[in-house]
Amino acid sequence: MRKWTLALTAVVLGAAFTIGHAMAQPTVNLTFRFNDTEEKEMRAALDRFEKENPGIKVELQRIGWRDARDQFLREASVGQGPDVVHMAQVWVKEMGQAGALLPLNDLMKKAPLPNGFDDFVARELAQDKKGVIFGLPWTTDTWAMVYRTDVLKEAGITKLPDTWAELHDDSAQITKRTGKTGFGFPAGGSASGAIWFLANYYWWSNGKSMVVEKPDGTYGMNLTAADIAESMHYFKSFLTEGHNPTSNLSASDAHDPAILQALVSGKQGIGTMPPNTYKQVLETYAAANPGKPLPFVSGPFPKGSVTRTSNIGGRMLGININSKHPAEAWKLIQYLASEPIFTTYYTTQFPAQRSLLKKVDFGVELKGFAEQLGYARTWGPYSDGPAPIGAMWNATGRAFSAALSGQRSEKDAAEELVQTVSKLMKSRGQ
Amino acid sequence: MRGGRLFIALMLAPAFLILGLFYVYPTFQNLAISLTDLSLLRLKVGGNFIGLDNYREFVQSPEFGHLLFNTVIWLTALSVILRLVIGLGMALLLDSPVLKRLRMSTVAKLAILVPWATPPIVAVVIWRWMLDAQNGVVNGVLQSLGIVDHPVAFFADLRTVWPSIVTVIVWNTVPLVAISLLASLQSIPDELNEAAELDGATRWQQFRHITLPFLMPTITVLTLMSVFWTFNNFVYVWLATGAGPGTFTNVLATEIYIKAFVDFRMGYSSAVGMVMALVMAVFGVVYYRFIAPSELKDSL
Repeated sequence: MRKWTLALTAVVLGAAFTIGHAMAQPTVNLTFRFNDTEEKEMRAALDRFEKENPGIKVELQRIGWRDARDQFLREASVGQGPDVVHMAQVWVKEMGQAGALLPLNDLMKKAPLPNGFDDFVARELAQDKKGVIFGLPWTTDTWAMVYRTDVLKEAGITKLPDTWAELHDDSAQITKRTGKTGFGFPAGGSASGAIWFLANYYWWSNGKSMVVEKPDGTYGMNLTAADIAESMHYFKSFLTEGHNPTSNLSASDAHDPAILQALVSGKQGIGTMPPNTYKQVLETYAAANPGKPLPFVSGPFPKGSVTRTSNIGGRMLGININSKHPAEAWKLIQYLASEPIFTTYYTTQFPAQRSLLKKVDFGVELKGFAEQLGYARTWGPYSDGPAPIGAMWNATGRAFSAALSGQRSEKDAAEELVQTVSKLMKSRGQ
Repeated sequence: MRGGRLFIALMLAPAFLILGLFYVYPTFQNLAISLTDLSLLRLKVGGNFIGLDNYREFVQSPEFGHLLFNTVIWLTALSVILRLVIGLGMALLLDSPVLKRLRMSTVAKLAILVPWATPPIVAVVIWRWMLDAQNGVVNGVLQSLGIVDHPVAFFADLRTVWPSIVTVIVWNTVPLVAISLLASLQSIPDELNEAAELDGATRWQQFRHITLPFLMPTITVLTLMSVFWTFNNFVYVWLATGAGPGTFTNVLATEIYIKAFVDFRMGYSSAVGMVMALVMAVFGVVYYRFIAPSELKDSL
């Protein structure tokens, strides 16, 4: 009797195991390559996603922004790479056209976004002229000016600079009266360097632009070598007059540790950066000075002869053309673009959905960023035009670095940049 | 006899297979790419055949002379010469009776190996911090001694950037030269120097007529090897300056990287690579045609 019971139990358990095993969904393993520094926070967000979606596991990969673009393009071309990829908004179209990204149109139809694709900013950077969507805008931001209020006070400056000339004069005054760095900006020429942004803001505010769309629909430059040389001369003056240290010629990123440290420690009065970097500065200061009020304020970029401006920037998410699990990857992207990510995990960024942006409380310190957003413009013709933005970006960085360091004269560096950009435009059939 | 030849051929086959797969095939593939306008954004589609346009553009570009000068003079010649001179000095010091008397010989030999055991990326990071304009110890010392009034941005100032890079390279690589020369020094029979001393030879005469001739074969090999390693080197310049400020410290190896992975011009980058390989081939021919046979003769 006991033998029969044991045998029956074994059969039942065996059958249950076999049926259970057969019914269990195989786990889908996704890879998400993330380029920002908030690795711990993003891992926590992914853990929550895995809990909510028991059949999906997500491996988080980290890579720096500087190498992210070429690394992914190389991998995608040989059938490799992460399932979900994190990109700068301006990379998406060229990556899609290179055949590295999966068009999202079908996935959007099958599993629509809660408020539709129209709810997102920078949609024109996510799709080509035929309406093929290669990426989902994830975050949005713009750069703004950042000031140490105590350093300004020490230098006797009572109001924020309103024009580029005032910015220069205030920067000089800080160094003259306090011995500290005035406007310390990264002046290096590495790939994806920050000087690209400053140069464009300066040109745009003075009514110039590296790429414009002509009435006949072709593209060209609305910027002469003389205009570029003049802008180089302006930014070089900060270095030659000593209010931006020459060591910043080897800094290319807004988050360069030397610049952030100088701002946090009060050795520098003025900086410029995107909001996530600014939030890191505020957090670092607060951690080092518990209980003390934050001596920082943000403000919009100075005015040129026409306007004051900056760009609407941000990040997008896309799916690798080689992903074996596009539906699950799309599910992950939708989750990453949902509200809790921005309120709980990825708090240094602003969402790219208009509906979520309305809910953001910018706070006192970030007021300048909110104001700057009103003046910000998209890359527009830069993105639609024939020359890849990345190539113009890097050429501009190298030309400015050469001029600012004294390797070349401003005139020579500017002429070379005009030639390079013209060539880039021609090589794409314009 | 035939069996012997077959045996030799079979034994050599794996080596030839590896050479063919990993050296010959990639070289010809690279040559083929260098004749196209292949872009990283069009890897799947492929590039169009454009003949020698990439080579023409490279040779005619205003950067060409600057790149060659940086690669040959700053990166290779200066660092190889300094490496050999300092390495020889260190080897002589390590071999000196003074260190032995002080029982410091072993400690010194171990200490000298530390830079060599340091990976290049770590070496560059250490030196970047030491030479940092704001917080670097070197600037701190220079200012406290009154040598400079303001901090020097060693890796950003055009006057100091190349000497700074060469310093990092020499610091990181000199131990190999020193240890190799020390081994050669220790193989010189003591009797030769003793006899020369009895004959009234000065220290310099002993060094010039006994030590140096003994060291020459090692110095020749080290020079050539150093030239190969340094001419091709990408790591030090890229990590220290990213080829900047501007393109001031750009060398052939960093130009290949910039053109391929920053500007996405794979075809052009391959052409630069082929030019670089040709220059290295000239060094190789010199070595195998003139130096290797005499070394072989000496050793027989």
